[in-house]
Amino acid sequence: MEEALVHSEHETSVWPMAVGASILLSALSLLSFFHWQMPILGIVLGGAMLAILAIGLAGWAREAFQHAPEETEVGTIAVAAFVVSETIIFGTVFVAFWVGRIDNFDVWDTFVPAGLEASFAVWLTFILWASSIMIVLSERAFTRGDRKNAMIYLGATLGLGLLFVVLHMNEWIHLVGEGFTVDANVYATSFYSLTGVHTSHVIVGIAINLVLFWVVASGLMTRERTTFFKGAGLYWHFVDIMWLLVAANAYLIGGAF
Amino acid sequence: MQETVANPWFRASFREWIFTTDHKKIAILYGMTSLLFFSVAGLMGMAIRLELNQPGVQYLDPDLYNYLLTGHGAVMLLWWAIAFWGAFSNFLIPIMIGARDVAFPRLNQLSYWFFFSASILVLITLIPSQQIKMMWTGYPPFVLHDTAGPTGLYVLIVILIAGSTLGTGVNFITTVLRFRAKGITLGKTNLIIHGLISSIVVQLVGVPAFVGAVVMLFLDKYIGTGFFDANTGGDPVLYQHLFWFYSHPAVYVMILPAFGVFSEVLSTMSKRPIFGRTSMIYAIWAIALLGFLVWAHHMFTSGMPQWLRIFMSFTTVLIAVPTGIKVFNWVGTLYGGAIRLNTAMLFTLGGIFMFLIGGLTGIPLALPAFDINVHDSAFIVGHFHYVLGMAMTLGAFSGVYFWYPKITGRMYPERWGKISFWLILVGANLLYFAMMMVGIEGMPRRYVDYPEIDYWVTLNQISSVGAVFLAVGVGVTFYAWFKGLSGPEAGRNPWGSPSLEWTVSSPPPPQNFDSFPVEVADDWSPYKYH
Repeated sequence: MEEALVHSEHETSVWPMAVGASILLSALSLLSFFHWQMPILGIVLGGAMLAILAIGLAGWAREAFQHAPEETEVGTIAVAAFVVSETIIFGTVFVAFWVGRIDNFDVWDTFVPAGLEASFAVWLTFILWASSIMIVLSERAFTRGDRKNAMIYLGATLGLGLLFVVLHMNEWIHLVGEGFTVDANVYATSFYSLTGVHTSHVIVGIAINLVLFWVVASGLMTRERTTFFKGAGLYWHFVDIMWLLVAANAYLIGGAF
Repeated sequence: MQETVANPWFRASFREWIFTTDHKKIAILYGMTSLLFFSVAGLMGMAIRLELNQPGVQYLDPDLYNYLLTGHGAVMLLWWAIAFWGAFSNFLIPIMIGARDVAFPRLNQLSYWFFFSASILVLITLIPSQQIKMMWTGYPPFVLHDTAGPTGLYVLIVILIAGSTLGTGVNFITTVLRFRAKGITLGKTNLIIHGLISSIVVQLVGVPAFVGAVVMLFLDKYIGTGFFDANTGGDPVLYQHLFWFYSHPAVYVMILPAFGVFSEVLSTMSKRPIFGRTSMIYAIWAIALLGFLVWAHHMFTSGMPQWLRIFMSFTTVLIAVPTGIKVFNWVGTLYGGAIRLNTAMLFTLGGIFMFLIGGLTGIPLALPAFDINVHDSAFIVGHFHYVLGMAMTLGAFSGVYFWYPKITGRMYPERWGKISFWLILVGANLLYFAMMMVGIEGMPRRYVDYPEIDYWVTLNQISSVGAVFLAVGVGVTFYAWFKGLSGPEAGRNPWGSPSLEWTVSSPPPPQNFDSFPVEVADDWSPYKYH
């Protein structure tokens, strides 16, 4: 058995509470916007939420890198455990998609919009693959001690992620324009849910990579403590792999077959 | 920090409390929040019993009754039966494995703030216009209707609670895998660690399914998607499948840690190593795994293929095997032991007794032929209050009494504890046994009113009397815990247990152990008595 890990920690930290406050605000913001029908209040609370969240996460990352005395290298186990539960979240949407697909087998053809092209999904796949390769190159460069190239590759990862989101949203707008709205039929519901839940993960991944970019650029992260890098990379690969399943279901099994 | 070393948790400043990353203080925060909500949900239950004391609608307007049912169910399950074990995980796991703290102390604090935020949302439902009335299960299509109350509030309460459990899950799994002191293998750790961690693993895998289901509710209600809308090809039963995929395993989330407490207390109080230790560990994990293969037994009347019914019925009965192994091993542990019948031990024995009744009524419920006849009747309510309500609560109380000297450094008043135990045991059996009987006679659950049938009225009144005993008993326990704070010094190891948490002073110092790494002898075992 490996030597057990022990660490000493600060007894207090203010940052988790800041992040916690933003969590509460996000819930209140959603409730105001959707349920209490006070959209302005919802947007204001949402903005406050984002500001507090950004401050909280930045302070947290700074404290973690500056004060925690040693690297414990347990982050990858945690990310792996988190990915397991993320997989189940995706799983629920896949289940919803397949239940709809089977229940409506006979009439499914009438659900598929004319403007849906599986070839578009192939382009998106290439974009995400390229970004996954970029983050691997970036991590390699960083562990070599080549911070400049690490930042260039990480910037490419971010850029490709953003390109994916923009192209995808563009396609949604195009499809909605054709009358393929979320309430049109169960295919539309599950199509937008599958691609939506995936894109939301891409956006979270971009946010994580932004924090990563900041800790690399500011010199907070050193070559000896790359657990955050490994964790972020693991999450990004997970999002990439999930895209293959999402695209195969939403575009091929939903649209083409 | 060094300056806090001299201060046990109850002398910490307010600032230390709210910004703490110390697992022991976070445990107390979870415990106190949980107990507060337990009390409120208990009062809701008392109000329900008051209304059902006689036929007709006397005290509660039906809408308020629905809110009380929803609140009682959701809060008892999420804030008590699940969250109270969060307090145990936090307090015990790092000390029992010889660690300084959990793997991610700040994430641990954040998990509490998720829980706290969810608590605030629950408090919002106390406002009359914000009452949630969809039952804790939140089945569509009713949940999407305006008379069910604010769907969004229900959805976000579930999501925030899920955030808390996922943070805790990631944290404690990592802690147990990588922070055990040398020599404490997974096979050698305390059984309660297996109980707590198996329940945490179940949450990590199961909770996301519940989250997915309620997010679909949110989208259906506010965005107009058609997941559960049959008009556009959706399927309302889909929700039930996703919901129970977590919410059935959730019952093991509630009971597996209680099994852990039973094992610790039985072994320590009878001075015997736990009988069939390895089989106990396998049984815990078998229950955790099988728990994911039985969910549709909640839906035998919902419409599903016959083969699925048969499969789920079979797997449900199969769960009786590992649970049976556990019960027999507990009895085996007692055999020939030097049994010490103090409050903690009484609560454990009572918990096993209640679990036995709940478990044995569960076996016929696994059979569709019986289940469809009592589905949605008071029989089900009585059954799950035996298992979840009482076996879990007695286990939790037993755990608090057992570790009370460790947590507070003081000894609780034994006499009040025993009085409380007998009040609770007698009260709960009156309450829930009468409920099962009236259920078998056909009384449906969840209605505010029932027809004026003589023996129904009698049985309901027996239930209400039992509820009063139960509530008084719980109150006496709270009194005993309060009074214990000024009790005699307990010392390091009042029960003579070799488990690691008893080797440190009571209450444990902020660093837990005087020196690191913690070392144990090669033949160390938490159940090795001399």
